[in-house]
Amino acid sequence: MVQLTLPRNSKLVTGKTWPKPEGAAKLKKFKIYRYSPEEGGQPRWDTFWVDLTKCGPMVLDVLIYIKNNVDPSLAFRRSCREGVCGSCAMNIGGNNTIACTKGWDEVAGNTITIAPLPHLPVVRDLVPDLTNFYAQHAYVQPFLKTDTPEPEKEWKQSEDQRNELNGLYECILCASCSTSCPSYWWNGDKYLGPAALLQAYRWLIDSRDEATGERLDDLEDPFKLYRCHTIMNCAQVCPKGLNPAKAIAKIKHMMVERVS
Amino acid sequence: MSSNQDFATPTARARGLGSAKAGTEHHIRQRVSAIALIFLVPWFLFSVINAVQAGYDGAQDWVAQPWNAILLILTAGAAFYHMRLGMQVVIEDYIYTPGMKSALLILNSFASIALFVTVAVSVLKIWFTAGV
Repeated sequence: MVQLTLPRNSKLVTGKTWPKPEGAAKLKKFKIYRYSPEEGGQPRWDTFWVDLTKCGPMVLDVLIYIKNNVDPSLAFRRSCREGVCGSCAMNIGGNNTIACTKGWDEVAGNTITIAPLPHLPVVRDLVPDLTNFYAQHAYVQPFLKTDTPEPEKEWKQSEDQRNELNGLYECILCASCSTSCPSYWWNGDKYLGPAALLQAYRWLIDSRDEATGERLDDLEDPFKLYRCHTIMNCAQVCPKGLNPAKAIAKIKHMMVERVS
Repeated sequence: MSSNQDFATPTARARGLGSAKAGTEHHIRQRVSAIALIFLVPWFLFSVINAVQAGYDGAQDWVAQPWNAILLILTAGAAFYHMRLGMQVVIEDYIYTPGMKSALLILNSFASIALFVTVAVSVLKIWFTAGV
């Protein structure tokens, strides 16, 4: 049966409440998921109070503030801090997004909860294990495949053909979509998930690519592709405003076109 | 290190058993049966509500009319076929235990066919025995 509750060793307990900073002008409460494999035990919710006048406008600024000023052991991934690298994807206030472009003032409620991306093994605190996610991305062979000898200068593409890739090439592989998808939660080992399928479609409709048929062959599978039940969480959470569900629907259209 | 540790590479796991090169037929059949039901279900609801208002005998007379009988059998066929396809997806989604999964998939097919045959034979019996 599908796992509908957390395993016993993953159940969250109440953790440490850090003291409120003295003389703070604008306080906000943050509940942050903590887990350390060295310490073992249950994962816990730690409570932090942050003086918002002392940190930048984004949730990532809050995390950096906490790491610098309150608890240096807080672990999270971040790199570009401007929505390009996709490293800081996490669950903020119940929605998957990237912390660097999510303003803390955009999250409703008195307390902002921050947890790692759902339904993935946790490496530490807010750092999930994305090994399977990356292997699935590699499975769709996200690169140009051709048999025709390479032209001297470049593979040409018209403006219209290039425009087909808009809304697809922008994906930063943050994994917010795949880890928000219930179908990916239940069958993530077999279902490729919205992120990998969006990339698959990006190469399927690239006018320069010559492996469209093989690509469709590799995707045509009750689990790899057809586990998408158009739940649409992927499109709702995508921090880049992309629509993986639409790309998956278009792959299904190509499959139908091939047989009828 | 325990002996039950999984040393399969992430690539091996992502590829799994490879692509089944199937699923499109299932997808098409589910959509086509859904299109049939868009027309059949409103007819079915409207007609049945009207028919039962005439009581048991009135309902029997209604079923005995050829067009009603034909449409009833078509509705049951499309609905149970669509149900079989949908339930198959639900079982595949949520049941992981191999034996249990196969058993439920087979039971799903048997139950859907049994339900259809029961409805079809009942309708035909009313139609063919009407006025006898």
